[in-house]
Amino acid sequence: MTPVVLALLAVLLSGAVPPGLARVGVLHRAPRAALVLWQAIALAAVLAALGASLSLVTSALNPGAGLSLHPGPWRSVVATIALAVTALVIGRLLLTAHLVGTRTRTRRRQHRDLVDLLASRADPDTPELGGSDLRIIEHGAPLAYCLPAVRRHRLVLSEAALDLLAPDELEAVLAHERAHLRARHDLVLEAFTVLHQAFPAVVSSSAALEQVRLLVEMLADDDARRRTGAKPLGRALATVAAGPEQLGALAAGGFAVVARVERLRDDRSHRVLAATLYAGAAAVLAVPTVLVALPWLLSLW
Amino acid sequence: MYGVPLRSLGELERAALDVLWAATEPLSVRDIHTALALDRDLAYTTVMTVLDRMAKKDLVTRSREGRAFVYRAAGTRAAMTADLMRDALAEFSVDDRGTALVAFVTEAGEEEREALRRALAALEDQP
Repeated sequence: MTPVVLALLAVLLSGAVPPGLARVGVLHRAPRAALVLWQAIALAAVLAALGASLSLVTSALNPGAGLSLHPGPWRSVVATIALAVTALVIGRLLLTAHLVGTRTRTRRRQHRDLVDLLASRADPDTPELGGSDLRIIEHGAPLAYCLPAVRRHRLVLSEAALDLLAPDELEAVLAHERAHLRARHDLVLEAFTVLHQAFPAVVSSSAALEQVRLLVEMLADDDARRRTGAKPLGRALATVAAGPEQLGALAAGGFAVVARVERLRDDRSHRVLAATLYAGAAAVLAVPTVLVALPWLLSLW
Repeated sequence: MYGVPLRSLGELERAALDVLWAATEPLSVRDIHTALALDRDLAYTTVMTVLDRMAKKDLVTRSREGRAFVYRAAGTRAAMTADLMRDALAEFSVDDRGTALVAFVTEAGEEEREALRRALAALEDQP
């Protein structure tokens, strides 16, 4: 039974739960706790998938483990296949992590080198734009982004962004980007990108990655809001999302920015909600471990 | 390349591009060295190494003029900047979004804009 239960759990947690959970808008009120919940679900899904195939190996080899297979060569065939699947899952994860990591770091380094060549440093006469990591690039659309790194990270603003944003709005943008750089939100995004790319779309929904993207933005928004208040941040979001004034190129965005501005009206702290989500995250990891994995591991003794 | 810290290599690349952008015709290593050595102590071979590096990175193009190699910038400053920003915007586009660059917010679509205006108006109306 153990392999079947764990396999079902893995499919449920990676494929079925995320699209539903992504529609629960109330999670946006406690982004940090929601992010922990998403991470717990992802980790539980991977552990369940590995547990499913490993428990199939042991129950095929162990005659008393209730797998209704006749003794004989079939058991070792099933055990071998299950072991191969385990190795495949682990190998696929490691390979994808390596490829995504290498690609991300290469792109980032190339982009940073070019930014350093083509952009100018902030004007030393404007101390609010201080920071040796800040670069101003000549571009007609308002842009703000960061290039995370352990060392030599960069924060890039376009000249149009400097022209269009009021000082407090600019401060909100910088606070938001610095929150990303400080908390290394990119690493969370990278982990979810790996999970999404490593497994077929049927079992790994893109909903998790999209929600995690949105939640780290909301976390950085909260940092900026604490610094400048909600209104400058809301205006900055609207200005940058509106894009260049004259070009009017229409991007095919989702409604993420709308959700971000809407939640700025709510400045209550949602402690009960956060506690519930943390408890949910713990339960997602603990319940399968206690009810399924532990009996199986004990049965091996 | 040995003995030259990376930081100053980046600065040399920047300075070399400035010289090339200001020039009206392709320049030889000698020309670029002369321009760069005006305000710093700089070996000819260092300039050669830097230009070679830049050619490999497609920042400059190299061609032969008579017996000497001459260099020009891969594009004007504006063109190279536009390329870089196109690259950044591609990274932010919804389809193949990587995680190398983290944007503050990406450009809104047409339907989104109306909803965004309403959301901002509601925020502004708050006391």
